Amino acid sequence: MKIPAFFILIGLVLLPPVLASAGPLQDKDCGSCHRLGDSEKKNSGPDLHYAGNKFQAKWLKQFLQNPEVIRPAGVSTAPGFLQGSSGNPHPSFAEKEASALSDSLMGLKVSGLTLEPVTTEPLSKGKRAKIKYQFERTFSCISCHQSLNLAGKVRGGISGPSLINAGNRLQADWVVNWLNTPEVYTSKSRMPRYKMDSATQIQFTQFLMTLKKENMNRRAAGGK
Amino acid sequence: MKRNYKNLLATITTVLLGMVACGQNDNEQVALKPPTQQEVKRVQPQTQQPEPAQVTENTRQTYQWYCAQCHGIEGKGNGINAKFLTVPPRNHTKGDYLETRTDEQLFEAIKFGGLSVGRAPCMPAWGHTLDEDTIHSMVRYIRELCQCEAL
Ligand code: HEC
Ligand code: HEC
Ligand code: HEC
Repeated sequence: MKIPAFFILIGLVLLPPVLASAGPLQDKDCGSCHRLGDSEKKNSGPDLHYAGNKFQAKWLKQFLQNPEVIRPAGVSTAPGFLQGSSGNPHPSFAEKEASALSDSLMGLKVSGLTLEPVTTEPLSKGKRAKIKYQFERTFSCISCHQSLNLAGKVRGGISGPSLINAGNRLQADWVVNWLNTPEVYTSKSRMPRYKMDSATQIQFTQFLMTLKKENMNRRAAGGK
Repeated sequence: MKRNYKNLLATITTVLLGMVACGQNDNEQVALKPPTQQEVKRVQPQTQQPEPAQVTENTRQTYQWYCAQCHGIEGKGNGINAKFLTVPPRNHTKGDYLETRTDEQLFEAIKFGGLSVGRAPCMPAWGHTLDEDTIHSMVRYIRELCQCEAL
């Protein structure tokens, strides 16, 4: 009795994609739109095979109960993307299901990847102004990503995922790694490659982690 | 002497443009000098013309993949980001403006970004994404779109 259990355990450790496709994610057919495992195919939804590296669990659970639009122009790999069509509302789930799905998603990681922990100490006012300036001008990030200005107003382009809630949605360690080595996650990014030193990567990350939906000025954003 | 004057003008416009950010307008002002992107250095002006680059299927696909986000599928400056930028993406089908720009200026705008040629920072630098041959072929493709050459 002990030996089969041992082998099952080994199997689970060695075959994360199999593990991934044998739970609530499979029951709900999330794989019909999302990449959940190793095989790369054309999907209408964003890749989730590294969801456990990328997202904050609490945010995932909330998103699955109350989906919000993150890519106002649709997913960059989907056919209608350049026409700016964002498609149908995302399926939503009751709390218990959302919780189980989120747990499974948090188990999806790039194998063998260890991310350096980043301290997201609050930025001083001066540093924040400096990095915000780089975000908007030196590196043109705002041309493709929505962010919040100091008055909490949404600004920026829509071809990249909105970053107005990045501080609740993304893991800081992942953001740094994305800026450093995006090819770990996708071979087909539409974002320019940047050569920046790690101090700058960390500052961008710290800046992005200050962007939170609750800092949004509802009135400035159009009363919604 | 003429060259210096030109450079000075370019610097002044760069600084002026440096005051504008790329998202929609608001009243935030940050008093910092416009830096250019790290590690991106100006190239020496080419003394002789490089081999004319070819527009291939790859050139068109590259344009669709990266540039069309802002410049639009047909290069008319109406991509999905266009209405969110303070300075509109250049319309690549308009000959009357593009013939006032040299191939080197277009090359530099693509490689080092808008700021490097005295244009808006909303135009990102692609020098770490695309190699020089590809950028030369993008310049050729833009010449095809505008059906124009530098005057
Ligand atoms: C019909 C296709 C479709 C199905 C089925 C689907 N999704 Fe999605 N999903 C999408 C699209 C499209 C987006 C992008 C939405 C956006 O960015 O605004 C998305 C976004 C997400 C996100 C946010 C990811 C990110 O990068 O922001 C998560 C998490 C997610 N889906 C989980 C799931 C789970 C779990 C299931 C199964 C229960 C599922 N999805 C089923 C199409 C789908
Ligand atoms: C030309 C458009 C463009 C520019 C400029 C750009 N990005 Fe992106 N970015 C994207 C797109 C599109 C994605 C989604 C993945 C993909 O398709 O490449 C993305 C993804 C991201 C992500 C991951 C977000 C997520 O939810 O998946 C972060 C973080 C990010 N960009 C930060 C930045 C920063 C910081 C800058 C400036 C240094 C920047 N981007 C400049 C287009 C852009
Ligand atoms: C994030 C949006 C964005 C993307 C993506 C983008 N551009 Fe631009 N581009 C702009 C904007 C905005 C301008 C206008 C700058 C100005 O007039 O000050 C511009 C201007 C230009 C110019 C004209 C420069 C001049 O001398 O006036 C060229 C050439 C150009 N872009 C080429 C490209 C190419 C090639 C690509 C793809 C590799 C590309 N752009 C991708 C936003 C973008």
